[in-house]
Amino acid sequence: MEARITLQVDGERRALTLDTRTTLLDALRDHLGVMSPKKGCDHGQCGACTVLLDGRRATTCLSFAVAHDGAAITTAQGLAANGALHPVQRAFIAHDGLQCGYCTPGQICSAVGMIEEARAGHPSHVTKDLTGPVALTDDEIRERMSGNLCRCGAYVNILAAIREAAS
Amino acid sequence: MYLRPSMVEEALAALAEGGPTTILAGGTDYYPARVGRPLTEDILDITAIAALRGIGERDGALRIGAAVRWTEIAEAALPPSLRCLQLAAREIGGRQIQNAGTLAGNLCNASPAADGVPCLLALDAEVELASARGTRRLPVAEFVRGNRRTARRPDELMTAIIVPRCAEAARSTFLKLGARRYLVISIVMVAALIEAAPDGAIAAARIAVGACSAAAQRLPLLEAVLRGRRLASGIGCLVAAEHLGELAPIDDVRGTAAYRREAARRLVARALDELAAEAAA
Amino acid sequence: MTRLLEPRAIGMPLERLDGHAKVTGTAPYAFEHALRDPLYLYPLEAAIARGRMTAIDTAEAEALAGVVAVMTPRNAPRLAADDDQELWLLQSEGIHFRGQLVGAVIAQTPEIARHAAALVRIAYEAEPHDAALAADRDDLYKPEQVNPDYAADTDEGDVEAALAAADVAIDATYTTPMEHNNPMEPHTTVAIWEGGVLTLYDSTQGAHSVRTTLAPVFGLAPDKIRIIAPYVGGGFGSKGTAHAHDVLAGLAAQMVPGRPVKFALTRQQMFWLAGYRTPTIQRIRLGAGRDGRLTAIVHEVIEQTARFKEFAEQTATSTRIMYASPNRRTSHRLAKLDVPVPSWMRAPGETPGMFAGEVAMDELAVACGLDPIALRIRNDPAADPQSGKPWSGRKLVECLREGARRFGWDRRAPNPAARREDGWLVGMGVASSTYPAYALPGSRATIRYGEDQRYVVRIGAADIGTGTWTALTQIAADALGCPIEAVRLEIGDSALPHASVEGGSSGINCWGSAIVAAARAFRGQHGAAPVPGAEIGAEMPEDPEAQRFAMHSFGAQFAEVRVNADTGEIRVPRMLGVFSAGRIINPRTARSQFIGGMTMGLSMALHEESVLDPRFGHVVNHDLASYHIAAHADIGDIDAVWLDEVDPHSNPMGSRGIGEIGIVGAAAAIANAAWHATGIRIRDLPITPDKLLA
Repeated sequence: MEARITLQVDGERRALTLDTRTTLLDALRDHLGVMSPKKGCDHGQCGACTVLLDGRRATTCLSFAVAHDGAAITTAQGLAANGALHPVQRAFIAHDGLQCGYCTPGQICSAVGMIEEARAGHPSHVTKDLTGPVALTDDEIRERMSGNLCRCGAYVNILAAIREAAS
Repeated sequence: MYLRPSMVEEALAALAEGGPTTILAGGTDYYPARVGRPLTEDILDITAIAALRGIGERDGALRIGAAVRWTEIAEAALPPSLRCLQLAAREIGGRQIQNAGTLAGNLCNASPAADGVPCLLALDAEVELASARGTRRLPVAEFVRGNRRTARRPDELMTAIIVPRCAEAARSTFLKLGARRYLVISIVMVAALIEAAPDGAIAAARIAVGACSAAAQRLPLLEAVLRGRRLASGIGCLVAAEHLGELAPIDDVRGTAAYRREAARRLVARALDELAAEAAA
Repeated sequence: MTRLLEPRAIGMPLERLDGHAKVTGTAPYAFEHALRDPLYLYPLEAAIARGRMTAIDTAEAEALAGVVAVMTPRNAPRLAADDDQELWLLQSEGIHFRGQLVGAVIAQTPEIARHAAALVRIAYEAEPHDAALAADRDDLYKPEQVNPDYAADTDEGDVEAALAAADVAIDATYTTPMEHNNPMEPHTTVAIWEGGVLTLYDSTQGAHSVRTTLAPVFGLAPDKIRIIAPYVGGGFGSKGTAHAHDVLAGLAAQMVPGRPVKFALTRQQMFWLAGYRTPTIQRIRLGAGRDGRLTAIVHEVIEQTARFKEFAEQTATSTRIMYASPNRRTSHRLAKLDVPVPSWMRAPGETPGMFAGEVAMDELAVACGLDPIALRIRNDPAADPQSGKPWSGRKLVECLREGARRFGWDRRAPNPAARREDGWLVGMGVASSTYPAYALPGSRATIRYGEDQRYVVRIGAADIGTGTWTALTQIAADALGCPIEAVRLEIGDSALPHASVEGGSSGINCWGSAIVAAARAFRGQHGAAPVPGAEIGAEMPEDPEAQRFAMHSFGAQFAEVRVNADTGEIRVPRMLGVFSAGRIINPRTARSQFIGGMTMGLSMALHEESVLDPRFGHVVNHDLASYHIAAHADIGDIDAVWLDEVDPHSNPMGSRGIGEIGIVGAAAAIANAAWHATGIRIRDLPITPDKLLA
């Protein structure tokens, strides 16, 4: 079965016709050629395909594209509007928060979404005080970034990058 | 076939026809369950149904819509008795999973390690099941029948989870033990709810353990022991191995049965001690 | 003496030159090159562990709209050479392991390909299979050599007599489980067969090594195969050699000439098609005087290989060089099983071997009542115990001392289970680390001065996250005596001059040496002011000193561990590695490499275990939800430092390689710290909470 949908990808309106079984990730990569979100596990277990979906962190491998007709998607590519890197992206380079780079766009989208969640006061598993604003301690960052695996082991530097970008 | 209705009635009509068989909300369990299999079944996507969204009060009980995601539960202003559920919501997978997955889906998927089940058992919650034939309610303990087995009939849609109002003094907590800090399928998890009088006497205790049997279990023996005791420092020492008789843990990749049983005992004790410390504070 | 480079760019913490492309996700990995009109491949996999296929029914699959071809042994193109049975694909009906590639669907979309693959019916004639490794098997055998070319066994002196006479003796068995590399980018090949040329966009650690391997398999001249791999999403050894999926994609491409065929393994398939680290069973016996001086070292290893192809991990080789003792014996014995073939995984040999060896040393320290650092210093050999050659630079003692100072080792209580904080038992552990400095032959580089007044440096090297793009640019700048901006590096393509594989931590040493040779030749021929178009190429020269010295890197790993007294949960809040690895080309990316290795070592220590079900011969926990690798919340404060040094004998950069040493010894340091925290000695990885519940 085929369906026709539109997606707002990195600020650009894209119309596409696709198999209803196509995941949002495959729609972006195979149909639209947007390769910034990566396929690492295809089961929501690694976070490499993370984008901001209507402003929230989402693993695009875990949903059908047809369920997101009209959605606005921001990828790591789109975070660098007009070629100027997002502060989180600059901090990743400065702190060498990447090696092979395959998990990196997902890490960056996740970090950007995470900083917003903390600003909005959303608690995490390690948040002690549920009443006040959330302070992004190292433990908070580690906890909130744990949906994004990195096999090269760049976690220490990712933490440093996010700590700097969030302050 | 991919159906994405906006009204409950459309969904029920489709189910009544024997139409779409797989009901999809967050999708977080859907893909991992289909490794190496083609995606050929019909899908009923319920995420566009407005009536299934939102958390609200009705008839003195809290009603959590079937399309409510973990993040919404974590961030909602809920009474302290529901803290166990909110803690569980913050520990399920990564944030990306919490943004997509639903409590109702967690129940319907009925994994022995489903994080929501022990919480709902401790909260004495019910589920609401609708079909073209009508609507019925079922306690969670009766709904979850075992490993991947539920009481949902093929033409039924879970529309809500109903949590009865607890005494204002009721407090709850949730603890989970996994081999890794994150994104784990639990070895053991505990939800505990205690309702104590101002003098500390325990009026009601509801303790449930997950991942240690085919479906999460309440611990009635322990609950009976706790009733009338004072919620105070050291209460965890009351938890004895014989209180865990309901559990039937298995050996698997994540831990041995013997370890699970012992860890469950210690985790239940820790949960009670935490609730006591909180009450004292 | 090797003529060393004058360091100007090298040694500088240059930011990763590919950083911008990677943080935006625009660096093209194998699947991501813009190609017109691609087709998608979904593989057919064997559902039994041993036997043969008796019938294959493809009719239903072929009838599905959008299916272009179904490839099976009946219609697959013929291959030319069967030397490597892992790559001898679809040429017979035989099944060697569960999950073996036995066919493929090629379709217009990935959804159709996956659907059609499920419609293919295969009937089998199963034979009894055997997939259980055990120490008491009666069919264990001695391989001719172990990877890459070490003797399987060594024996010097009289270990039995020395053990019998020893004041103190340790005799213990250690095990490490099957582990999977799991790079974040699944192994991917996009193949195009056009005009008699096979082009593969491949996720590989060596464009030329894949070409060299595949050319005879396909019966093609090497210049008829081209491998393109500018960016690779990790490998850790599993992308070091061509695997079966490369061949399957190549065969499929031949069935649809002119059309790109895209084939990415699923994460699940990586658990049987992309190599893994063999499980090991290691018995170690140590004999020593009361002063801790070793009199006997015995390291006997049992591990597995596949029945259809041998891979013998060199698990005991590090023991041959680590410590001095007059009586020493090492051996490797293999079980041939009906399982996928093991392969390279970060520091094959050293990683499992040094876990066992360094925990055994900790046990000896306890038995002798010695500090574990003092024990290691006491047994530090003046020359290589194996070859008798002088070290090009063995600074293990310096690493241990520097680490002890930085880590606060003097605060460590001499007895275990001495420190308890808020319900957590706290301990510290140490282990040594080592890795050989390999120099693989055959790398070549060319340098051309362009119209834009920049030097184009070309070599078919790989960057799998190791920082090659950046480090080779720095080396080229110093070799040419020009600014970094004046160098334009081209790598990741077999159309470039030949490069050795990114493996054995040898990449920068070999490729850098070739670039230095080319730069010196360029200046010799064209001088300091070349004309545009000036070009020269050169091979990496033989290093005459390599024969005179034993070249190994060393390090000291420190870990602090906390164990929950109630549940046995284990955390590692702190790790420190101090390394001696020759000159560090780029401190920023090098630190990432060391820390990354240590992080993988922590992951190995606490989490990683592939559970092979012997009834079916496949890995049960074949995804990232159940095969745990360390997540962000598992990682505390991990730091790596290194001694400021230059190896004057290794190569013109004075470097020895850093990609693997970070993982070696890390798991032992954590296990030793867990003992110090609890008094419980863990000899079987991973260290899960149930093993620590007292």
